[in-house]
Amino acid sequence: MNPKLFLKFVSISFQKQVTYRFDCFVGIVNGFLYVFIFTSLWKALYSQFDTTVHNGFTLTAIITYAVLVMAVKISFTMDDSIIYGKVMDGSIAMELIRPTSIFFMNLAENVGHSLFHIMARTVPIVIISIFIFDISIPFEPVRLLAFLFSFLAGYVLISMLNFTAGLLAFWFVEIFPFMLFKYALFTFFAGGIVPIDFFPEFLKPLVNILPFQYMLYFPTVILTGRIPLTEVHSIIIAQLMWILIMGVICSLMWSAGKKKLVIQGG
Amino acid sequence: MQEDNIAIEVKDLKKEFKVSSSGKGILGKLQALFHRRHKVITAVDAINFKIKRGEFVGYVGENGAGKSTTIKMLTGILVPTSGSAEVNGIVPYKNRKKNAAKIGVVFGQRTQLWWDLPVCESFDLLRVIFRVSRFDFNRQMEKLEKALGLKPLLEMPVRKLSLGQRMRCDLAASLIHNPPVLFLDEPTIGLDVLAKENIRNFLSEINREEGTTIILTTHDMNDIEQLCKRLIILEEGRIMFDGETEFLKQKFVHEKVIEVEFHEVGCVIQGIPGVTVVREQGCKKWLTLDNDNSGIGEVIGTIASQYKIKDISVKEPSVESIIRNIYDNRIRLSTP
Ligand SMILES: Nc1ncnc2c1ncn2[C@@H]1O[C@H](COP(=O)(O)OP(=O)(O)OP(=O)(O)O)[C@@H](O)[C@H]1O
Ligand SMILES: [Mg+2]
Repeated sequence: MNPKLFLKFVSISFQKQVTYRFDCFVGIVNGFLYVFIFTSLWKALYSQFDTTVHNGFTLTAIITYAVLVMAVKISFTMDDSIIYGKVMDGSIAMELIRPTSIFFMNLAENVGHSLFHIMARTVPIVIISIFIFDISIPFEPVRLLAFLFSFLAGYVLISMLNFTAGLLAFWFVEIFPFMLFKYALFTFFAGGIVPIDFFPEFLKPLVNILPFQYMLYFPTVILTGRIPLTEVHSIIIAQLMWILIMGVICSLMWSAGKKKLVIQGG
Repeated sequence: MQEDNIAIEVKDLKKEFKVSSSGKGILGKLQALFHRRHKVITAVDAINFKIKRGEFVGYVGENGAGKSTTIKMLTGILVPTSGSAEVNGIVPYKNRKKNAAKIGVVFGQRTQLWWDLPVCESFDLLRVIFRVSRFDFNRQMEKLEKALGLKPLLEMPVRKLSLGQRMRCDLAASLIHNPPVLFLDEPTIGLDVLAKENIRNFLSEINREEGTTIILTTHDMNDIEQLCKRLIILEEGRIMFDGETEFLKQKFVHEKVIEVEFHEVGCVIQGIPGVTVVREQGCKKWLTLDNDNSGIGEVIGTIASQYKIKDISVKEPSVESIIRNIYDNRIRLSTP
């Protein structure tokens, strides 16, 4: 898909989001509330112990993590029911008759969605948090660049996860329960609630064979400085590998699912 | 490999739909949860045809005959259950994107335009999607604007267009990349007489001048009569006629239809050899004579002597009436 077209669709989707400004205001409050709850919990927890470092996190580090992981998560906001909706109402037919990839169209739509949430929610939440909480982000240009890469890779991975989940519409009439399950899995295993370092030992092998940690946890800890710069490249390589694997899964599911596609009417 | 002058080739093309039938009542629904019963509907049943470049083909049949399903397979939307199809030498359900670049599609019941965008922006997006150069785009748009009267519509958001206006825009949208093959599934649905006439003129023009191959699905037999040299009639997923529209007319042109309006309801016509009543409505009856037209005068004389007649006229059968009779199984056709 050519970049110009991609950007056009990003901008259309972005403009559509602008019409939902009120939702966005609610979203800021909601996002900030989460940040507030999590940071308060960590403070309370840390004050219970004499030791100041837990699983390698100082209080400042854990609060930084809590704020940033929420910021990344909010930046990754996308509508995961787009494909499902299009399959159900048959409007996907009108996309299939165009020489464009459904996945990339969907990605462009997601990017527009996310860009809006980054501008309208992530940025204010991060700015407010910097003033309110004790946060420390190492300022190293190389690190910021690495974070950007890792962030984008994580974004593509989530897009793929949502895309495959949406494709379940080919097999199931109702996919809401799957989406709920996906959300729970993702939020927990990606480190959206607790950093992976805090997970019990027995969960770690599972975490390591799942792609979720590459979606939120790693981009976040690259930014917080927890990962030494010398190790950053191996993480990004792992992310790219997962993109490849998920890409294969996406296309297999797509071609299997397409055989099941029915379009009502017309 | 395909001959150069063949635009579409369809071999034993078949599409089955599985429909799960849940039983009646709560018990039946519960049962369906554990043990789904599937019913298989064969929407398109192993059909074969070839369409040459530049042909204008009418694809007709009753509701549910399988017309849209065929078109969806040829446009890469649906994957066939079995059989094969090629459009411009490309297999649509395998090379969807490649195929899409070389066809135009209009589904009368849906729009491919962006609901919230002004029409002209939708066109511009399609220009980028189909990689049409600005120069070619401007030239094509100028032509389409004129032929379809788009000028006043260009700035309007698609959701504010009336059905006929939207249809004209959709038709233009399908032609932005000047595709060699055009699929039209009920493009005249819900249009007024004038709009229909304009669209017909336009279609006939691009078929003539650009050599665009057109497959047209419609329930309006005037569309067929005016546009389609070739006609494919589908019945329950099978092709029951494939030949020249003119052939149909010629074959049945002898079969004059006599329209009689009586003064009262319930007049019985019987005992006149070779006469069949094909339709009745109130005081009106439509009669056909088998083969021999020489008896028309006699027949009219006989009827007039039996009943009081208000009005009587003799008509050539229209394609519409021929096809209605074919649907009704009054006429059995052997494909030539
Ligand atoms: N999504 C679907 N699921 C199940 N059956 C379907 C589906 N789509 C079509 N069918 C069935 O396939 C058959 C052919 O449908 P199709 O839409 O091709 O008919 P059509 O010739 O286009 O009719 P119409 O003139 O009403 O548009 C019908 O019996 C229809 O019920
Ligand atoms: Mg149809």
